[in-house]
Formats: sequence, C-alpha cells, structure tokens
Amino acid sequence: MNAVVQEEVLFAREPDETTVEEPVSASRKYLIFLIDDLRLGVDAEYVVEILNAYSVTYLPMMPDYIRGIFNMRGQIIPVMDIRLRLGKPAMDQDRLLVVLNYAGTSIGILVDAVDQMIDIPNETVLPMPAQSSQKLVSSMCNIPDGSGTMLVLDCEELVQHDY
Amino acid sequence: MSSGNDILDMYIYETNTLLEQLETIVLDAEKVDTFSQDNVNEIFRIMHTIKGSSAMMEFNTLTTIAHRIEDMFFLIREGTMDVVSEENRPALFDLLFQSIDYFRGEMEKVEAEQPLDENIDSFLSNINSLISKIKGEPAAEAEAPAAAPPPAPAQAPAPAQEAAAPASTSSSGNPDFPFQLRVFFDEGCGMENLRAFMVVTSVRDFCAESDFLFEPAAVETDASTAERIIDEGFLLQFRRAEDREKAIPAVRSAGSVYSYQPHDYVPAPPEPEVPAAAEPAPAAPVQKAAPAPAAGGGASAQHQKESLISVNLSKLDQLSALVGEIVITEAMVTGSPDLKGLGNLDAFSKSARQLRKLTDELQDVSMSLRMIPVSNTFQKMNRIVRDMTKKLKRPAKLTLIGEDTEVDKTIVDSIGDPIMHMIRNSMDHGIEETEQERIDAGKDPVGEIILSAQDTGSEVIITIQDDGRGVNDEAVLKKAIKNGLASPDYEYSHKEILNFLLMPGFSTNVEVTEFSGRGVGMDVVKSGVESLGGTVTITSEQGQGMTTIMRIPLTMAIMDGMEVAVGSSIFTIPINNILSSMKISSKDIIHDSVNGEMFKIRDNYYPIIRAKDFYRLPSGADEVEDGILMWLESGDRSYCLFVDELLGEQQIVVKPLPSYVNNFDIKNSGITGCSILGDGNISIILDVGNLHAAAYSA
Repeated sequence: MNAVVQEEVLFAREPDETTVEEPVSASRKYLIFLIDDLRLGVDAEYVVEILNAYSVTYLPMMPDYIRGIFNMRGQIIPVMDIRLRLGKPAMDQDRLLVVLNYAGTSIGILVDAVDQMIDIPNETVLPMPAQSSQKLVSSMCNIPDGSGTMLVLDCEELVQHDY
Repeated sequence: MSSGNDILDMYIYETNTLLEQLETIVLDAEKVDTFSQDNVNEIFRIMHTIKGSSAMMEFNTLTTIAHRIEDMFFLIREGTMDVVSEENRPALFDLLFQSIDYFRGEMEKVEAEQPLDENIDSFLSNINSLISKIKGEPAAEAEAPAAAPPPAPAQAPAPAQEAAAPASTSSSGNPDFPFQLRVFFDEGCGMENLRAFMVVTSVRDFCAESDFLFEPAAVETDASTAERIIDEGFLLQFRRAEDREKAIPAVRSAGSVYSYQPHDYVPAPPEPEVPAAAEPAPAAPVQKAAPAPAAGGGASAQHQKESLISVNLSKLDQLSALVGEIVITEAMVTGSPDLKGLGNLDAFSKSARQLRKLTDELQDVSMSLRMIPVSNTFQKMNRIVRDMTKKLKRPAKLTLIGEDTEVDKTIVDSIGDPIMHMIRNSMDHGIEETEQERIDAGKDPVGEIILSAQDTGSEVIITIQDDGRGVNDEAVLKKAIKNGLASPDYEYSHKEILNFLLMPGFSTNVEVTEFSGRGVGMDVVKSGVESLGGTVTITSEQGQGMTTIMRIPLTMAIMDGMEVAVGSSIFTIPINNILSSMKISSKDIIHDSVNGEMFKIRDNYYPIIRAKDFYRLPSGADEVEDGILMWLESGDRSYCLFVDELLGEQQIVVKPLPSYVNNFDIKNSGITGCSILGDGNISIILDVGNLHAAAYSA
C-alpha cells in the first residue's frame, strides 16, 4: 500500500521520469501518536498493528519501563511504556498498544492515543538540534495540516539497550 | 552451504555419508583383521558410487583414486579375502583409512570451492603397489617383480606411470644383490634424502658396506635425490636374505617411514611381453565386469535405502513449531470458556479426549524426528584412538557404552569436538607412554578409554574415562603458577587444581604434539559444552586415570511443567526438578543471622527462596501459611521455593523470550523462557539451577 502511494506521488511530480528512479525519495507515511501533549511520529513501515485489548504478563527483573510481555497470536512481544522510557510519569488509564517491528525486533509501545496517519514529504523532516537532550527522537518536522510539530521516534534507539 | 548448487550439495552429502559408512566398516573389519564378503561388496559399491558421482561432477582425481580402489576390491571380491596375505592386511587397512582421509579432505575443498589436489601420483602408486602385491602373491612369490614390466602403451596413464617407476629401478637391479627392500617415506615429511641416509647408517650397523647397495646412491650429498625417493622409494639391495631380514626392523624403527616392500630381484625376463600382457589382462576384465556387479549392488542398496530419507532441518523445526501450536490450540478449544453452561457435553468430551491422544502421539513423533543416536559421533572416536595408538605406539582400546542413546541433532553435532579433545587428551597425556610403565603400575598393558552416554531424562551425561596416569596435582599447580593462573602463596585443593586444567592457555605436556597440547583443548571443551548449557567436571586420582563428565541439558521444545501462581504471575517449574511440595507453618522455618530462611527436610536443611521477594513481584502471599513450599533440585543445587499456590501440571510448549528482553540478562535470574497457556496468557518458565545461583550470588 505504501509503495503504491509513493509511486503515485512520483508520477505526479515527475511525469517524464521513467521508473529507473527509486520511488522512495518523495515522501513517507507516518503514524502520529500522543504522549501528553507531545506528538510523536513513527514511520508507518514499522507499524505492525494497533491494539486496544491486550493482556500484559509482568516479567520480573526488568527495567520499570518494560511492562512485561504479551502474546500476539503466538508471538511473544515485549511491552514498553514509552512514557516511562521518555522519563514522563506513569499513567494509569487504559492505553493503546502500538506494535512495531524494526529490523526483525518486535516491540509493543504503550501510547496515550493515536492521532492520525499522514504523508510527510521527506525534505520537510529535519534533524533534531544537536544540543537537544530529547531521548529517542531522531528528527522533527511540522505537520502539514498545521496541527503542530511532530517528533520522529528513533526506532533504532528504541530497540537498543541502555540500562 | 554457501553455493546454491543443489547437485553439488547432494554430492558432498552423499559422499560424506558413504565415507562414514566406509569408515565404520573398515574399523570393525580391522578388529577381526579381515573383511567379510559382505563388507567387500559394500566397499566395492561405495567406491563405485563415489567413482560414478565424482566422474559426473568432473572431479577427475577423485574418480581415478576411487577407480583404483574399486579395482583392488574387485580382486578381493573375486578371490575373497584370502588373496590378501596376512602381512598385506595392515597395509590394506592403512590404505583405506588414508583414502577415507583423502576423500574427506577433498570434500572439504569442494565445499570451500577450493581447487582440488592435482598431485595424486604418489597416493595412486601406493594403491597400485598394493594391488600388484595382492595380485602377485597368489600366483607365485617370484612373480612379485612382475609389477615392474616395461610400460605397456595400451594401459591407462596412471597405472603406466606406476609401472614405469619400478621398471627403471628394476633394470638397474644388480644380480649380485638380489634381495631388495624398497622404502617409502611419509608423504610430505621433507628431506627424504637425509632420512634415507639415516636408514643407510642404521643398516651399516649390522651389515658390512660391501654387502649392500642403496639407490639413489648420493643421498647424503645430493638433495635432489629427495624427489626421486618420493616418486620411487628408496631402494636397498642386499647380498644375503638374512641381512634384509635384519634390516626390516631397522627400517621400521626409522623416522617417518611410511611403508617398505621386500622384493627379490629376478633377472629381466627374456620375453618382457609376457608379464606386460599379464598385467593388463587382469585389469581388462575389471573394467568390463565392474559395471555389471555394481549395478546389482546398486539395486540392492536401493532397497536398503528406501526406508531412509534426509530432510532439511528447517522443515523439522517448522514441524515442531506447528505441533506446538496445535497443542496450545487444542487446550484452548477444549478449555474454552464458551463451553461452560452448556448442558450435555458427553460427545464433545469423548472427541476431545481422542484429539488429546492424537496430539500427544503427534508430539512424540515430531520430537523423535530430531533425535539421533550418538553412535555416529562415538564411532568416529574409534578412528582417533586407532590412529593415535599407531602413532604414539601406546596400545589402547576404546570401549563405548550407551551408543544408542538418542539426543537432539544439534547436541550431537556439537559434542563431537569436545569428546574428541578429551579422547586425544587421554591418549596423549593420560595413557602411560610405555607398556612397561603400565605393567609396573599393575595395570593391563593395554590402556582403556571408556566413552559412555547416558540419558537421565533431563540431561545427557557423557563420560570419558581413562585408566592412565591421572593428573599430577603438583605438575598442574606448577604450570598454573607459571602461566599466572594460580598464586604461589595459596593452598589449592585437589578440586581447584583440576579446575586449572579447564582454563584457557593451559597445557601440561612439555612438548607440543601433533594431537594435543597446543595450549588449547581443555578450555575449548569447557566453552563448547557450556555453549550447550552444560557443565564439565573432571575427577582424577593420580595413577588411577582421569574421568571427565559432561552434563548437557536436554533442551526440549515441549515439556511437563507445574504451573504455580505468585500473586498475578504464573510460573512454570519443570516437573523433573520438583522433589515434593508441602504446606508448612511459620514455626517450621529456621532463621539464620543474615535474614536467610531454612527448612528441614529429612535431616537436611535447605534454604528457602521466596519467589515474590526474589522477583520483586507486586503481589503475592507473605505469610508462610498462605502459600506452599516446593522442594526443588537441579544438579547439586537443592532448595525450597515459596509460592502462592499450585495450579496443576501441564504439558507446555517452550517459547524463547524475545531477544530484546533476553538482552537484559534475564536468563541469569532463573528465567529461561515462557509458554502460552490454554487461555492465551503467558507463564514464565523457571530454570531451577539458575534461580538458585542468582539468589546466592547477589
């Protein structure tokens, strides 16, 4: 689905170009979710699914931001509370679980709410200022509909370990 | 395998399997010093197959060698084993082992896509000379030099070459020195001319110089003679037969001598055509006759083979994963909450029981598919002991116990190297250097190594036991201090000293030998076994030998476990680790000075680990009366685990934890995996041994 969209964009912009050019360069789809008032985006390519009913099994001896593991159709997936991971206070209400798969590692992240799916042209995504101490964010951009700024979640950092 | 070439993969696989078969046959046959007719047929068939498939793959050198060995076994098949006289038999066995090694080496090269060894002439001439010996002897002793007719132009190039070599020397034979001895040195030993000269020197000790000649004569001074010796051997010619008899032991004890052949010089036959014609004559029927019986042999082999197929391991993995899912789903269906409140379920229950029975059977079968006996790995050790007995000249035998123990394929693949290291170590360092030493120590002059496998249900125990010198504590300690592994000021116990043996960079042998003592070895054994999750222990009594015990846990995809609850968490404890469970009251608990708790069972005190506290679980029973105590044991660790309640025994499918989670070193806290319960929830599988280790190291 993703590829189709990208191809359309490509043809719209450069109708005389043959398909030799890689169709990736134009734009990417992002899933935007909310943590408090922060808008975090993650490349839709990594999103496996969004769940609102799940049961997490507590796994001892893990850092507090790992809530445990859950069973997604026979696959065991760790659940990370992204609030705690980003250093925000925990929240008790029911939340959504976004399952990501990045480079073969599956991980579920608990988010407050999912905002929207949106196409963002690649050139508008800018790197984070070097002096920013924001964790787990690789770049940022303005959301085209004017609803604010999106921070792009760094999936690579997410699946890595720092204790 | 790297190449995507299926035919090549198949060829390598098939050839290696055949070589394994061949090795087993030859090893068994060597013990009784003869081949049965069945064996001969089998070897003939194996060589024929290798020849055929090598030719198809265009590995010409392999084809040629296999062809010659096939020829040789054709002779043996026709005339039974009687055609091979007693003194030629060791040579025959050696040659077969040599060719097995040769083919294996070439297979590795094929696999690694390296060019094959093109220089097979010397190996080929070894085979040919043995063939001519086999051929020559039944006819008449005097016909032996018939192996040296002038080259017959019609012959195949390879045999011609071999024929040419002795021919040139036999023509230079001296009628005054008719008793010849041709000596061949080990392939690639180097400096053959000087080695030859050393042989001459030792012969001079008992034989006057005027009584023997040697050829090439300039061995002492001319290094280029080495090549001629490699090709043709080093020829000693004696005036008297008894001198030659004396020379044989001298030659035998000389270094790097591969083989020697006595010849009696016969003046060149007046009609050289006769032996020349005689030579190709037996060869011709070989070629004609070969395909026919081989086709017969091939057909019968087809019958034997039909019951076996080889399957890709990944397919088996897929199958066991599927079976695991079926077991879970079955539990989900039969335990479905929707069934509650439905009235008459008799028919359903009956079918559910039947389904359960079938899934159980399916599970057993799918598990057994991955199980193979250790016998193949064990048999390989026979060969190592055999080779080392010959090389080191220390008589020893290998006794195998429990070869038919079946373990998972991955374990079988990985235990080969550790076992081999320990066997070599026992042969090299363990068994006494001389028979006399053993006799003096009141032991059987023939050393014994016992290799045994035992399946205890939860682990495989592999024991390697030798009755050699045992470990010299002092020498080990001295070495350990020298290598900086031990401190000179400290008193080490016997057990601690033995542990030094397993450390990296430790080797007690002063000299580095071909087989072991490169300073690697024992620690490789340790790391190899540990990578399988197992342990290695060494026990030794000086003068009594050494015993190495490798314990390897059976990793099972499906196991019986006891579900226990602690607060809202569910844990699974392997049934094999549970000794008993009991309700106790708080006054039964004994407290020690560091807040530890203990419980007395049958005159022994065992520490108590509270699962809730250890895992810092958010909920669970704190009062001893509200929970239950489980007495667990793993290896030599025995303790009690306090949990809330037992939920019941269940067959579970072990799933690994996600790698992300594993990176948090959770394995060392006694959590090995998880399992999906019938209701879709997850239980955490505990490793009883690791849990104890974690609780008492922290």
